[in-house]
Amino acid sequence: MKKDQQDNHLIQKSPVRLKGMGDSLCVTLDPALPVDALQKELSILFKRCATLAVNAKVILDTGEKECYEELIESLGSFLKSTFGVGSVSAMLKKKRLPELPDSEEDIRKRDVEDAWRHYRSEVLMLMGRVRSGQKVTAGNHLLILGDVNPGAEVWAGGDILIMGSLRGTAVAGQPENEKAIVLALDFQPTQIQIGGIVGAGLPPSSKKQVEFAHVENDTIVVEAYLDANAFGRLPWLQVR
Amino acid sequence: MRCILDGRIIVITSGKGGVGKTTATASIGAALALEGRRVAVVDMDIGLRNLDVVMGLENRIVFNVVDAVKGKCKLKQAAIKDRRIENLYLIPASQSDNKNVLAPEEMERFGEILRKEFDYILMDCPAGIERGFENSVASADEAVVICAPEVSSVRDADRVIGLLYAKSITPKLVINRIIPEMVERGDMLNHIDVVDVLSIELIGLVPMDDQVIVATNTGTPLVLQRKSKAGEAFRRIALRLNGMTDLPIEVPQAEGHFWRKVGAKLGLGK
Repeated sequence: MKKDQQDNHLIQKSPVRLKGMGDSLCVTLDPALPVDALQKELSILFKRCATLAVNAKVILDTGEKECYEELIESLGSFLKSTFGVGSVSAMLKKKRLPELPDSEEDIRKRDVEDAWRHYRSEVLMLMGRVRSGQKVTAGNHLLILGDVNPGAEVWAGGDILIMGSLRGTAVAGQPENEKAIVLALDFQPTQIQIGGIVGAGLPPSSKKQVEFAHVENDTIVVEAYLDANAFGRLPWLQVR
Repeated sequence: MRCILDGRIIVITSGKGGVGKTTATASIGAALALEGRRVAVVDMDIGLRNLDVVMGLENRIVFNVVDAVKGKCKLKQAAIKDRRIENLYLIPASQSDNKNVLAPEEMERFGEILRKEFDYILMDCPAGIERGFENSVASADEAVVICAPEVSSVRDADRVIGLLYAKSITPKLVINRIIPEMVERGDMLNHIDVVDVLSIELIGLVPMDDQVIVATNTGTPLVLQRKSKAGEAFRRIALRLNGMTDLPIEVPQAEGHFWRKVGAKLGLGK
């Protein structure tokens, strides 16, 4: 009994998981791990399957991001030689593209709890005041607890979030990510740039509310954040 | 090693020109001297000498700050004693050189000599953030940033504050040239908004005052004119710098609004 629980626990935690899918075996694995670690995990699983693995069709799922053709090839040859599996292929990517409407089944299959477990944060989080003449640059997202004064510039590869007043220039989504946003608790920027689109001469809003800028039809649109609630409407949690 | 008895070097700066650095230096220096401290005011605007005119000492210049720093004369020879206010000395700028004749390292050494002789040394910094600023800031212990309630002045002051922090000097703020009537109408930046953006310690609010022009043109110290509002404000700033940190900051009020003042006292209105 105790061993069983332990086993369950191992399967839950392990970076490699096996499940039946139609007439084939689907192996979900974390491509961020080194190859030998993955091989070790795979051997544990496939030893248990024993004869079931012989001549079986195996699909390797490396998650939603890029394809890992080399990794799949090397793991495939390893599985074929060690356990005599029939064929090894990659998971079809188009099923995983978030733009396409997912079927009910796909949504259920998505591992909602774990999608961001191996995601490493790339947010530059600073506190203080960015003064005139200073320029803050972040490779990905930028979060500032404090204010951005007029004459200062904040520049980011991804989103810019200012927990304070934004009165300087904000340049987000560089060089060409037009999905980036600029958000500030007190939104009074001199200029906004998202991707290649410049929003100069934005009318100042006197309303004291949280606002954010995003790109809509190649123009920069500023909206009240809580009213628009753009991210609150997403069906499940996603890594940004 | 710095001795406790050594003087403090305070640089008066603003970034932008024409906001009242020279007037502030002359007035605060005079006020500190009236408190019985030995004060030197140093004009660092080399090539564009002004402070001597404002203090009415232009006809007594023999040596200047460049001579003193380069060792061509003794400090005592370069420091001009003010005849009206005891303990007040001016070290004038050179009018014929430019700012590159001095280097920050030389100024640091000169600062050590000044500290031994005076209780307060006020450096009148030139506009801009180039060599003249570097020289003025090199030996400073403290800084007073003068800012006018204008957007352009606030932005330049903000830049200077960033540079001062980078040199580990914590600046204090004086807002100069406030016109209370315009603030009331909403045509001029409120001092609260300025402090909000700059977020450094405020040590004084100085109203616009015609007496400043009179005093500058005649070379008489502003703080000696009892009816001058700006002079009074600078005197309070000097007291605050001299240790009276609990002296309340007076907000300049528009004249002729008796009932509004009564209302404000009773807690009515804004």
